[in-house]
Amino acid sequence: MLREFSALTRRELLRLTRNPQSVFVGLLTPILYLLLFGQGFNLGSLSGSSAAGLQYALLGAPNYFSYFAAGMVGFVSVTASLFVGANVIFDKFFGIFKRTRGTPAPSAAVFGSRLIAGSVQPIGFAFLVLVLAILFAHIGGLSGLDVTASVGVVGAVEILLAIVLIAFMFVTLALTLGFLIDTPQTYFAAVNALNLPTLFTSDALYPWGTMPHWLQDIATYNPITLAVSVLRENMFGDSLYTYPPEVYLAGLAAWAAGMGIVAIILVRRALRPSN
Amino acid sequence: MTDPIVAEGLVKTYGGKVQAVKGVSFEVHTGEAYGFIGPNGAGKTTTVSMLSAGLRPTSGRAVIDGVEVAANPEEVKRRIGVVFQESTADGDLTGRENLEIAAGLYGISRREGKERASALLERMQIGDASERMAKTYSGGMRRRLELGVGLIHRPKILFLDEPTLGLDPQGRAGFWQFIQQLRKEEGLTVFVTTHYLDEADQYCDRIAIIDHGTIVATGTPTELKDKLGGDVVTLKTSTAQDVSETLRQVPGVLTVQRQDSSYRLKCSSGEVVVPLAVEACSKAGSLISTVSVKRPSLDEVFLEFTGREFREDEGPSATDKAILGARLQSMRGGRR
Repeated sequence: MLREFSALTRRELLRLTRNPQSVFVGLLTPILYLLLFGQGFNLGSLSGSSAAGLQYALLGAPNYFSYFAAGMVGFVSVTASLFVGANVIFDKFFGIFKRTRGTPAPSAAVFGSRLIAGSVQPIGFAFLVLVLAILFAHIGGLSGLDVTASVGVVGAVEILLAIVLIAFMFVTLALTLGFLIDTPQTYFAAVNALNLPTLFTSDALYPWGTMPHWLQDIATYNPITLAVSVLRENMFGDSLYTYPPEVYLAGLAAWAAGMGIVAIILVRRALRPSN
Repeated sequence: MTDPIVAEGLVKTYGGKVQAVKGVSFEVHTGEAYGFIGPNGAGKTTTVSMLSAGLRPTSGRAVIDGVEVAANPEEVKRRIGVVFQESTADGDLTGRENLEIAAGLYGISRREGKERASALLERMQIGDASERMAKTYSGGMRRRLELGVGLIHRPKILFLDEPTLGLDPQGRAGFWQFIQQLRKEEGLTVFVTTHYLDEADQYCDRIAIIDHGTIVATGTPTELKDKLGGDVVTLKTSTAQDVSETLRQVPGVLTVQRQDSSYRLKCSSGEVVVPLAVEACSKAGSLISTVSVKRPSLDEVFLEFTGREFREDEGPSATDKAILGARLQSMRGGRR
């Protein structure tokens, strides 16, 4: 099992390093969001909004960009994971998947290798987004991520776990769809139908306070909301949060575990000899 | 000792109504090269898929190296090598990486995988290109790489599904040279599907002709050709005298057809009949000016058993279209 897993992971990582342009293109979208959307959507400049009121709406974040930068971590987890599932579809198209299925490699190794290798990009992108957002604060004319609370070791570990769990969750979702679906058209239609509503029913991009109550209720249980809540609470303080970050982290872990169970059932079925 | 490949009444039905394979049964003996020939859509690939644990049969059973395929598909995959019809090598990896990763998929250690990859690259004559991306390989090199991938775990049974499809005659000959060498050195049992009849004739010990999902004839190439009545001898005499009756009396001659001074004889063995026919004609006062002996080809065998000519460039068959239709139907949830 370990040898099969190791061989398949090696293949995935080799392919990733052989296509640096795909990494660059994948990173371009979050950078543009940080540079354009994050800078342009300056809620603080709106008339009538006090600094305290704004900070309340932004759950403790000192400005919209800081609030948004944490949300971008959830955003890149969704967008970067799409490619991981698409790669499964292309492997089917080019016969590579048929070769793998023709070997006794266990389905856990086939799935697990793609999960681990496929999560490298979203996790890497998430950290790059945070680093870039912090660097922006030191560039004149740009808003940047302003971390107002002191992030200790526990906080840093919680942030790391949140980033890893949200990446695992969406990569698992994308891979499951990739294993179940055979055509790129159907795959992209399916991920768009799932990912965009997931993103827009979270508080990743717009402030919690501006949402209607019904959307706030949905957003409370959204995995992206849970992940960014761990980040925001650690970076901006816990005064406006109902629960400590560990609770949100536990909720996120439950989502990732649930998604993992669904994936195990569906992918094992998809990898069985065809009927 | 059980035969390495046993198929008993294998049936594959798609969508509940399209029968791609209609109950095929056969055994392949140890060390044998068994050819499965038939036109596109005859059921060749479906049969290979069922034998190699890629497709579940609707009914019937397959036993590979004593292991029931349906009960233990993973064990079967461990014991067989498969070279698929289409290219399955990863074009973005080098030839060496493709082989090393394939070794890992069979649970072979990294070190052992490296050694086996090096040996196979050398053997498959792609050593010089081993560090190049597989997407830069020629068709023949890619096929040899596919063969290397199929052999990385040293199986004793090898399934080849249209292995030389798309290769030029030189590439086909080279590929078969490797297979013959492997059979000789390692005692491989080979199951090959092909629609190149000359390949089956030349390289297979036994052949099954499949058409519309049913095996219509089986035997050695010689046996199959003998079923047509043996050789065809064509004689031309130097006189206008009719020697049909004389030739009919020659032992071994089955039928005689005359056209002017030419005679077409169907006989069990041309080698035996020719000297006797020459002698008989000479005694009858008619000298033979030309003689030719033709062994029946597998094309003629196919024609005999299926009632139609074998064409290598056929498009999708009616069965192919029906299977595709059934799959699309099932993808749409069976709605009309």
